Amino acid sequence: MKKSKLLLGDEALALGAMDAGVKCVYGYPGTPSTEIFEAAEEYIKKMDDGRVSMWAANEKVAYELALGTSYTGQRTVVTMKHVGLNVAFDAFVNSALTGVNGGMIVAVADDPGMHSSQNEQDTRPLADFAHLPLLEPTTPQEVYDFTIKGFEISEKLKLPVVVKLVTRLAHSRGEVFRRDDRLSPTTLGIPSKEEKNNWVLVPSIARVRFVDLKNKYSEMLKISAGFNKAIYCGKKIGVVISGMGIAYFDHYIEHNNISKEMFNQLRIKSYPVDKTLLQDFVRNNESVFVFEENYPYLEDLLLGYSLDKKCIIHGRRDCAVPQTGELSLGIIRKTLAFEPTNPKLTDAKKREIDKIVSSRPPKLCDGCGHTDAFKSLTTALKNIGIDDYRIFGDIGCYTLGVMPPHMAIHSCVEMGASLSMALGAALAGHTPSVGVIGDSTFFHSGMTTLISAVQTKVNINMVVMDNSIVGMTGQQPPVTIGICEDLAIAAGLPKEDIHVLTPLPKQHSANVDTLEKIFKKNGPSLIIFKRECIQALRRKLYPHQQKKEVANE
Amino acid sequence: MNKQQNFGLIVAGVGGQGAVTIAQLALGAAWMSGFNVLQSEVHGMSQRGGEVSAHIVFSSSKVTSPTIEEGSANLLIGLEPLESLRHLHYLKKGAPIVSSSSAIINMNNYPDHDLIISTLRSLEKVLIIDSDAISKDLGFSQGGNIALLGAASRLMPITKSIWEQAITERFKSKGEKIVAQNLSAFNFGLAKS
Repeated sequence: MKKSKLLLGDEALALGAMDAGVKCVYGYPGTPSTEIFEAAEEYIKKMDDGRVSMWAANEKVAYELALGTSYTGQRTVVTMKHVGLNVAFDAFVNSALTGVNGGMIVAVADDPGMHSSQNEQDTRPLADFAHLPLLEPTTPQEVYDFTIKGFEISEKLKLPVVVKLVTRLAHSRGEVFRRDDRLSPTTLGIPSKEEKNNWVLVPSIARVRFVDLKNKYSEMLKISAGFNKAIYCGKKIGVVISGMGIAYFDHYIEHNNISKEMFNQLRIKSYPVDKTLLQDFVRNNESVFVFEENYPYLEDLLLGYSLDKKCIIHGRRDCAVPQTGELSLGIIRKTLAFEPTNPKLTDAKKREIDKIVSSRPPKLCDGCGHTDAFKSLTTALKNIGIDDYRIFGDIGCYTLGVMPPHMAIHSCVEMGASLSMALGAALAGHTPSVGVIGDSTFFHSGMTTLISAVQTKVNINMVVMDNSIVGMTGQQPPVTIGICEDLAIAAGLPKEDIHVLTPLPKQHSANVDTLEKIFKKNGPSLIIFKRECIQALRRKLYPHQQKKEVANE
Repeated sequence: MNKQQNFGLIVAGVGGQGAVTIAQLALGAAWMSGFNVLQSEVHGMSQRGGEVSAHIVFSSSKVTSPTIEEGSANLLIGLEPLESLRHLHYLKKGAPIVSSSSAIINMNNYPDHDLIISTLRSLEKVLIIDSDAISKDLGFSQGGNIALLGAASRLMPITKSIWEQAITERFKSKGEKIVAQNLSAFNFGLAKS
């Protein structure tokens, strides 16, 4: 039997956390981070030793749960995708001032190339902004190792440690060797009497804590120095590489018989980066190529140290590397002007094939209730005389409503924006204003708008696509189900303005009739399209399906 | 892997078709053979009936890139003919293609099927298999995919016994019958190549 396992980068992070004695894992689903939590949940189920995994209502809540667990002296992980960190950002920035007690890993998965995201923002400058250390692994093995080291660093510095993944690492499967022993969760105890006020960020204490944080910087640099490395080979040309930049550069050199002695290398795996390391590298080269995922972060630092132009920095800023999108082996090859590969297809043949090949975009599943909901919404708007209708959308499967034949979604910004934008439009006189949101997104960031909307008299129509599952990310359970109506009533929305519709083809004309009446009535309304996700039904993920199975046994 | 330093395999298909399973079988088999391995999978949005592909890299030397550069893959396994065409540009000169001819038409502008097949046939080293027919013959829905893998297996530096071991490992939790079914589908495909 092999001592190693094949794991996704995401799974390696979960396993590292388990072996490091993590007590609680929290998160909110988001591609490409979701599998971190899911793997942790599986491990925890199997171990049955009192560890906890829990999906939170949103990333901010998840982050705060982790901070609370850390407060008790236990190790904890919170997972999210890059844009999830925006949601958690208030807690994130301030946790640098409170500091942590038990080790805390903030696992953030970036999505350069936007495989399934609305932007390709970089987590590194956000960690920098918060004055927090960040580790950037390159392979599933490093994800495992860095997670374990991350806990040690976190407890040493008494700060949360960010572990940054990208899609191509989170969803890459590779060999991972485990350490021999798995630590059980142990507690460092709650903060001592001397330390307990550290967590109270009133101005007088926060000022002191900010100085304390600044004073940790030199220790952070010392830790980073153990990860980052400059390798000189006597040439005047260098590469600065991090994350997948290291993966692709190493691979290219290894498999194309290129001498390692061609380039000086600066290999960055931990942040903050000591400025003397960067300065020295600039001083020792005449030209430097920077290969890093997401933003030109290291590149900008290097540019700041090469103002005399004695060393020219090439990267995303001068378009030596494409300004946007993820790195690849091809980018390494082209940028460093290596010989092209010898493809099977001639250019003529490739053009011929490109003419034939049509794209196959993702789409809503056949028989999905969202299709029926969109159909009745758009028909009702047309029937009341609005041909060029606009519907504010949100994030989830139903975002695919932007595609033909639905053409039913006209915005997608971030979690919860649908309802707030619809309300803002309604307040400006847009009528009827319609926002479409899924149930999990509603609980994540839509409820607060519902509460605000109820206080207005404008024609805002809040549509919840309620399938009682987090569909897009792989059918995770939402934080709660079936409480939208009660919430609206509690918020003060009259019962007659709450409508529960079933999005099925046979209900189409009845739904259209109801929607026309709702849209014509001035004032806030809540419309709940309630039907199960067909994928989740097939997988028997709903509580009522599980009960049935138990009853049958 | 004497001369072959580095092997790149692309598995292409449509979301929900089982491309990731086929890719993981190949990854596992390469790993059990003692190679260094990495694989890039596609999860998330494209599961919903969109195009999916997995890259599998294995080598006797160190592997750090989970993706394959265009024009440098050694083999393409296409579970669907349009997806085979779409991913052809990843192949290096002389590299073979093993493709299903069974179309999945979940879009309005699906190209002419005969044109797709004749274009595939116009390339050197192509093996085209009607995987739907095989699934029907073998009586289980994934049979065609596994047969396709069997047909492609000769083109990879992995022995038959390792393939069988990888398939057994993968399906053993589902029972002996499922293992046997998959092994016979694999051997059925192998015999076709």
